[in-house]
Amino acid sequence: MTGACVSALIARAEAHNPEAGFGECIAANQRRVFQIAYSVLGNSADAEDVAQEAFLRAYQKFASLREAEKFRAWVNRIVFRLALNRLRGYRRRLARDTAWHIAETPVMVDGAKDAEQRVMLDRLRREIERLPEKLRNVLQLSLVEEMDAGDVGAVLGIPAGTVRSRLHTARKLLLEVMK
Amino acid sequence: MKNACEKWQHQLLEAALTGATAKDLEEHLRSCAKCSAELDELRARNTRLDELLPLVGQGAEPSANFRARVLAAAGAANDRQRARPWRVWTLAGAAAMVVVVLMIAVTLQRRTVRMIPGDELAAAQKLAEWRAPSDGLLVTPGQEILRTMPRLGESYLNLTVKTDEEE
Repeated sequence: MTGACVSALIARAEAHNPEAGFGECIAANQRRVFQIAYSVLGNSADAEDVAQEAFLRAYQKFASLREAEKFRAWVNRIVFRLALNRLRGYRRRLARDTAWHIAETPVMVDGAKDAEQRVMLDRLRREIERLPEKLRNVLQLSLVEEMDAGDVGAVLGIPAGTVRSRLHTARKLLLEVMK
Repeated sequence: MKNACEKWQHQLLEAALTGATAKDLEEHLRSCAKCSAELDELRARNTRLDELLPLVGQGAEPSANFRARVLAAAGAANDRQRARPWRVWTLAGAAAMVVVVLMIAVTLQRRTVRMIPGDELAAAQKLAEWRAPSDGLLVTPGQEILRTMPRLGESYLNLTVKTDEEE
């Protein structure tokens, strides 16, 4: 979160004006918050819904958030939990693979390489899905930009060292299966 | 890879991931072409994984109007919250009004009951005391005696009952 955003939140809390600074907070955090939801859910529509819900909760419960500097970690945690809850709901109804298959295709380069990369990417997504939950969560959060081991650990409630160790194990498993 | 080389699999994976090769593995690789080829393959795979992993989440961006949408939803939530105390006070006021109206209605009703005109009251009293002339015809012998039932030890004929001592 930018310094200006933190200052705006503090000013808001002091002035008891709920709207002040919230727009700046969304702007500063929206990309990361959305990507956390996307890393778990695998499609933009759901990720955006969950990200919006997370910001609304942040807005409504900001009074109980004593330290404005922790807003970033707090909203990261909230969006991750909301995304997991939604995913669990979906899993009761349909197979998770479907969501990955309908996921947006990332920006690709050209022709044959594009097709090959797409196939590999689909396979990689499936393999990530097959990882044990603890390893999968760490890997998915680590793929989000602006998220270092400390941030991932704060979301999952584990030390940064554990994050690095799980990430290493996850990559080793992927290396083994991605033949 | 030979079956005898399977024990090196874990170290090969580690070497491909970290880029560092342990001494015993290095010695083995000098004498085992298959494991060397396997390590090269794992390194190539690791490079490919490095390229692919960032693409898993790439292209995922919130829509352009995301911020506006969240702000609008937050504004609506805020309005609802602000409206709540107003609703509570409105309901409380309405309830108080109902109570006051009821109290006034009850008081007025009691006053109406008390304000019976004197002539109507006298007429009602007269009516209550009125006896029909034919009531006398209905009087039967012994009726008076039956109306006043004697108590235990009393006589129907108003004769004093003699006790054992008087006898």
